[in-house]
Amino acid sequence: MEPLLLTKREKRKLASQYADLCLTCGTCAGGCPVTGVDGLDVRKAVRLALLGMDQELIDSKFPWVCTLCGRCEYACPMNIDLLALLRSARGMRARDKVPGVLHKGVEMCLKTGNNVGIPKDDFVFLLQDLGAELAEELPGFEVPVDKKGAKYLFTINSKEPFAEPEDMMYWWRILYAANESWTTTSENWEGVNWGLFTGDDAAMKEIVGRIVKNYKELGCEYLVLPE
Amino acid sequence: MSIHDLLKQYIEEGRIKLDKSIHHELTTYHDPCNYGRKGERAFGHGYYEEPRWVTQQCCENYVEMYPNRANNFCCGAGGGAWAAPYVEERIFYGRVKAKQIKDTGAKLLIAPCHNCRDQIMKSLRKEYDFMDVEVKYLWELVADSLVMEPREEAEEE
Repeated sequence: MEPLLLTKREKRKLASQYADLCLTCGTCAGGCPVTGVDGLDVRKAVRLALLGMDQELIDSKFPWVCTLCGRCEYACPMNIDLLALLRSARGMRARDKVPGVLHKGVEMCLKTGNNVGIPKDDFVFLLQDLGAELAEELPGFEVPVDKKGAKYLFTINSKEPFAEPEDMMYWWRILYAANESWTTTSENWEGVNWGLFTGDDAAMKEIVGRIVKNYKELGCEYLVLPE
Repeated sequence: MSIHDLLKQYIEEGRIKLDKSIHHELTTYHDPCNYGRKGERAFGHGYYEEPRWVTQQCCENYVEMYPNRANNFCCGAGGGAWAAPYVEERIFYGRVKAKQIKDTGAKLLIAPCHNCRDQIMKSLRKEYDFMDVEVKYLWELVADSLVMEPREEAEEE
């Protein structure tokens, strides 16, 4: 490794405006289940940022095996914004270097309105079909879609219509029992926002914006994301 | 509005009725990072007490994991790790959670987060040998505890 000349280091790119408050106490790393994985830990990540070795952190696996759970940040005696730092390292990866399906999910959501690309017609058919099944047990039940003036707008986790559709019925049973006024939407119903995980603020904002647009257009009172 | 507030409201206002005898086994609750610590930091309120209260409206026998609430350990699949390719690291991460769960002796675990539920139910139970512990979403627990009363026909006539 080349000697690191602090006088020649680049200006920090990572979001770490408070990192220089770090006392190097190691409380963060001490309480973290993935300390040591990939040869790094949270305390070392802060050191990398301070030394201007941003790229090392950005290229490492560590910001991705970290689950951004925030236990370190909660315990940090200097209240350093450790999650912002680690998430910014994720965000600075080239998008084609984002691990696994996360960025593909973001792209799919921007293109189709949900992470797994379920077409509108299929989705509505599924809701109606499952609704009819539940109505055999709960007389009069149906899934309200795009219902104007409903009190609650519910988003849906695409995992459910994709792989575990019957799990949607838990909420439906509760809403039926409470005789609630609610709806979901035929488009942009995705409640999972992977932009949060990939450090992609622009995508995150766009996806949230679409949900808010639905909410306003339908004139709902509350938005519920059962995540 | 948070699902915790909504479920709590339904129960408090008597809009749904729950049967505590359905889930008699010892039950514990997992604090997801997003509803707890991160909610607290971002929005000024961590949902720690509400889901515990809802759980205990459905389950008589309740036990805490240690540590819990703001100091709870992540399931190991947060932050997109469930969908990321680092499977070995994710399972390694979850060893702490698995031990916390097993130490309680609970046979039912409630998780109000899709990621946490999947990691614990589909991965950790198998990897760390506690298939005898059932895992449910918080709303699944409530739905399974519902006492359904026949709808009044008046509004349909």
